[in-house]
Amino acid sequence: MSKKTHITLKVNGKSEEFLAEPRELLIYTLRERLNITGPHIGCETSHCGACTVTVDGKSVKSCTMFAVQAEGAEITTIEGIGTPDSLHPLQEAFKEHHGLQCGYCTPGMITRAAKLLEENPAPSEEEIRFGMAGNICRCTGYQNIVKSIQAAAAEMNSSQSSSSEAVGHKTTEAAE
Amino acid sequence: MSHAKPLPHDAAALHVTGAARYVDDIPTPAGTLHIAFGLSEVAHGTLDALDLAQVHAAPGVIAVLTAADLPHANDVSPSAHDEPLLATDRVHYIGQPLFAVVATSHLAARRAARLGRAEITKAPAILTIDEALAAGSRFEEGPRIYTKGDAEAALAAAPRRLQGSMEIGGQEHFYLEGQAALALPCDNGDMIVHSSTQHPTEIQHKVAEALGTPMHSVRVEVRRMGGGFGGKESQGNALAVICAIAAQQTGKPCKMRYDRDDDMVITGKRHDFRIDYDVGFDDEGRICAVDFTQYARCGWAQDLSLPVADRAMLHADNAYAMPHVRITSHRLKTNTQSATAFRGFGGPQGMVGIERVMDHIAHSLSLDGAELRRRNYYPEMDSGTPPETTPYGQPVTDFVLRGLTQTLLDSADYDARRRKLAEWNAANPVIKRGLAFSPVKFGISFTLTHLNQAGALVHIYQDGSVHLNHGGTEMGQGLFQKCAQVAASRLGLPLEAIKITATDTAKVPNTSATAASSGTDLNGMAVAAACDTLRGRMAEHLADTHGGAATDITFAEGKVTIGDKVLTFAEAAQSAYGARISLSATGFYKTPDIAWDRIKGEGQPFFYFAYGAAVTEVAVDTLTGEYRILRADLLHDAGASLNPALDIGQVEGGYIQGAGWLTTEELVWNDEGRLTTHAPSTYKIPACSDRPEVFNVALWKGANPAQTIYRSKAVGEPPLMLGISALLALSDAVAACGSGYPALNAPATPEQVLSAITEVQGT
Amino acid sequence: MHNFDFVKPGSVAEAAEALKAEDAMALGGGQTLIPTMKARLNAPSALVSLSGMAEMVGVSGSDPVVIGGATTHGQVAAEAGYPALAALAGQIGDPAVRSRGTIGGSLANNDPAACYPAAALASGAVIKTDRREIVADDFFVGMFETALEEGEIITSVSFPVPAKANYQKFLQPASRFALVGVFVAQFDSGVRVAVTGASEEGVHRWSAAEEALSANFSAEALEGLSVASDGLMSDLHGSAEYRAHLVKVMTGRAVRAAG
Repeated sequence: MSKKTHITLKVNGKSEEFLAEPRELLIYTLRERLNITGPHIGCETSHCGACTVTVDGKSVKSCTMFAVQAEGAEITTIEGIGTPDSLHPLQEAFKEHHGLQCGYCTPGMITRAAKLLEENPAPSEEEIRFGMAGNICRCTGYQNIVKSIQAAAAEMNSSQSSSSEAVGHKTTEAAE
Repeated sequence: MSHAKPLPHDAAALHVTGAARYVDDIPTPAGTLHIAFGLSEVAHGTLDALDLAQVHAAPGVIAVLTAADLPHANDVSPSAHDEPLLATDRVHYIGQPLFAVVATSHLAARRAARLGRAEITKAPAILTIDEALAAGSRFEEGPRIYTKGDAEAALAAAPRRLQGSMEIGGQEHFYLEGQAALALPCDNGDMIVHSSTQHPTEIQHKVAEALGTPMHSVRVEVRRMGGGFGGKESQGNALAVICAIAAQQTGKPCKMRYDRDDDMVITGKRHDFRIDYDVGFDDEGRICAVDFTQYARCGWAQDLSLPVADRAMLHADNAYAMPHVRITSHRLKTNTQSATAFRGFGGPQGMVGIERVMDHIAHSLSLDGAELRRRNYYPEMDSGTPPETTPYGQPVTDFVLRGLTQTLLDSADYDARRRKLAEWNAANPVIKRGLAFSPVKFGISFTLTHLNQAGALVHIYQDGSVHLNHGGTEMGQGLFQKCAQVAASRLGLPLEAIKITATDTAKVPNTSATAASSGTDLNGMAVAAACDTLRGRMAEHLADTHGGAATDITFAEGKVTIGDKVLTFAEAAQSAYGARISLSATGFYKTPDIAWDRIKGEGQPFFYFAYGAAVTEVAVDTLTGEYRILRADLLHDAGASLNPALDIGQVEGGYIQGAGWLTTEELVWNDEGRLTTHAPSTYKIPACSDRPEVFNVALWKGANPAQTIYRSKAVGEPPLMLGISALLALSDAVAACGSGYPALNAPATPEQVLSAITEVQGT
Repeated sequence: MHNFDFVKPGSVAEAAEALKAEDAMALGGGQTLIPTMKARLNAPSALVSLSGMAEMVGVSGSDPVVIGGATTHGQVAAEAGYPALAALAGQIGDPAVRSRGTIGGSLANNDPAACYPAAALASGAVIKTDRREIVADDFFVGMFETALEEGEIITSVSFPVPAKANYQKFLQPASRFALVGVFVAQFDSGVRVAVTGASEEGVHRWSAAEEALSANFSAEALEGLSVASDGLMSDLHGSAEYRAHLVKVMTGRAVRAAG
């Protein structure tokens, strides 16, 4: 029997330490060990994107990464992006522009979109299609998802001076 | 008034923050056990023995259940009692559950389930339509036949005639949230079940049968599903029932969710069809007679296949008045997953059949497809002509497609684009473009008449806040928000005053599945009825107290106005409470004016029709068969929309799902009957990059002449069939490559398209 | 999935040592290995993680372009001074897959539908391991088979940069692997054409096209050629005949796009 490994993570700004078998997948760590149930299990084969989280600044499908591979990493899930009382512009946009129906893909979708807008603050429609290629939605037909991302980008860019502080602050918190 | 406003989904703020809970997100009590099925690896045979020693010995295993361990009914069928939860003496398809493992974790249960060994004596498996026909393997004694006029004679007399045949593939639901259930054992043998289901009452019914208890001992709760699309109308039964049985036997909460792979292998999909046609028409393209033979591959158990196949017959006319029609429907039994409900419920397959006929006629007459379709439309009532009847004898009295079509063709700039496209195709040998128009007329009501009923339960608390419950389930379509908007409008309250609550069989009993697009029509009316009762009681009390007539009292914007006296709604509620007025009411609704004989194929199965139309343009690379949807223009009839934003979402999502079904979503079974497309790496549902580059979507402005809730129309299923225009646009593009008729099957994958191009080039 | 020991070595030498354990396997980004372990197609006793070792990560040089074995597709897409290679890396999977998957992992796995093997073979890349250097023509042995010995680690890959090059991928849209992918590279010494996704033997060169294109680097030069469907894969995503057809079409596209 293989030994358990000591793992330290920082999830949404909070340090977590635990012992886990090396085969424990990050999505199980988040959902079952840490009760962070925003990232969902959709396909468990890295295709659907429902489990997308950010690990050390990169979008990752947490169903296809062992927790032990994330040792020492900083992880952001949908819960770290905003809360119902303080929505991230993307969250506000997905809500107001109807970028969701059943909502199951939404946490992964927004987590990926947040990273996309960090990498490319003003993506073209083509760049959004390409950048969101790994996240599947079965309900919306994507029209309102693209609209939501465009609206959030516009919002974040137009109020850059004031909101960049707020967003920057949030990012810092998550990254601490 | 709250209704008619484009408000966000009721739980949008929870969804965007990851706080919305699905079954798998519900915190479970300590000691919760997890279940996985062991599956048949053989498509047909006799189950001689199960060797489960290794399963029992695996880490974390608490119990292993086989058919012999089930104390009461071993049946999860929604219809014909032909679907054992766990196989008994025979196995019927690859993926059939043989045994269930109860273990301390989901992964432990899954690992152990793989260790079971089944001894199965193989029997010949019937997999295809042809094999089933040859073996006479079918449901019902023979084919169902609906007729109007004398198709045979009219075909013989028709100036022109065409025959053809088309294969139409099935479709995997691919709801993002897989099937899931959680059973919590209570004292006195009672059971609470959380299930991802469109049909809580059916879950309650099957769980009660399996536990040997009356239905009153089982309470089923459904807050939301991560997508349903029909795939959770009956397919959740197995998980809920095994969880309840295991919970009863172990005394522990039991939970089960299918991994995606299992979900795709175990559960039913959209029925695949073959449709043969023989059509007679005149030189202008008007259909004199059509004879359809529909072959539906139903899989191993009956499930909902009979009404699905019926609905395919009921949509074989789509939007076209035809004097002589015969529709023959074979419901074939095969050793594959039991095909089940899927958005449209057979209607889409029937509609693809007649649209294929239209496409074929238009090609043979070199006539524009939109023009041909309009020549065959049902008449509109304002034209003074008497209504035409459908092949099943229902007069079409609410037809709006003539006006709707003209509006869409204008807004889509159809005629000019048709001309430009011809120029493009003449100038470009490699990339060919195609443009197609297709209409939708979809019948609204369950064809099983007794299902057209719904209930609601509304409480007003003494602080004026309102608890809303009804029998419909939320799967993303926005039903909960629409019903809350109805309640808010009826009670004159802001939406925030209405608490939307999970569907619960203990609050509203004997519900119908949230299906057949009827969720809002039925439950919205029941909610309105309950609210009207409460408002009436409050008004009477206030009239007694303050004088005047109850009917003169108004409820609006959170205020109740009695003559010159104005109370807040909370004050009014407090006053009614103090006067010992009941502030809790049920509401009930049954759809009027429907009657249907499914054996004869006669009657008025539908309360009304929902309409829509689409224009799609594609580009096809003739060297590879690759294609892309360049533009789609959709105009859809949602009546007086209760929530235009949610309805447009249904239209967009429906179109993409319909186009996906007919283009990329290919299901493949191998010679052993194993589904080889059982993962998202092999089964291609549309991704963000597949959406049309230009996508114009609008709602037709018009109230429903039928008395529905605020004159809105059902919108869940009908827009899926707008996607048929994508297949027809591919046909148009391929037709531009030569002189032959493309005769595309569905799904028209790039390889299929290339092969069709080669064929028309050779003719 | 069976359990295993997880080893995170600090150096290539330590990694090589750890890989000597029975049934130990190297773990790159895990984008292929983890799914196969879930499906129980692989059940290693130990996983030796190669990511995070500085000596194996990074892109350097202009000709050849040298890429560390543990460099992610995302980093290659962003940094490689070899446009056709960077473009290829940017089309692998989706953004999340590119955040994790590595070039060494892809080449060592040699999936018959993977993109990187086509680039390596067409470019005449040299695969450097902890033991030796292997030229691409000797490296790819067959479907999922390479010249790598037990425990051998790809430390870097050195890509000569052609005068003109392009990769064309016909997507198997569900998996985002190549149904057929063709990499065309024009060097002073001649043209190399590598085909992935098509053959039962994995990535291979199309010598007839190389000859024709070496004489005349234009899509028209391919006109007289045809690809036999013998030995090509036939599966639910495409018949051997369709793949054969696509090989020629994709080659023509690559030549046109290479300019």
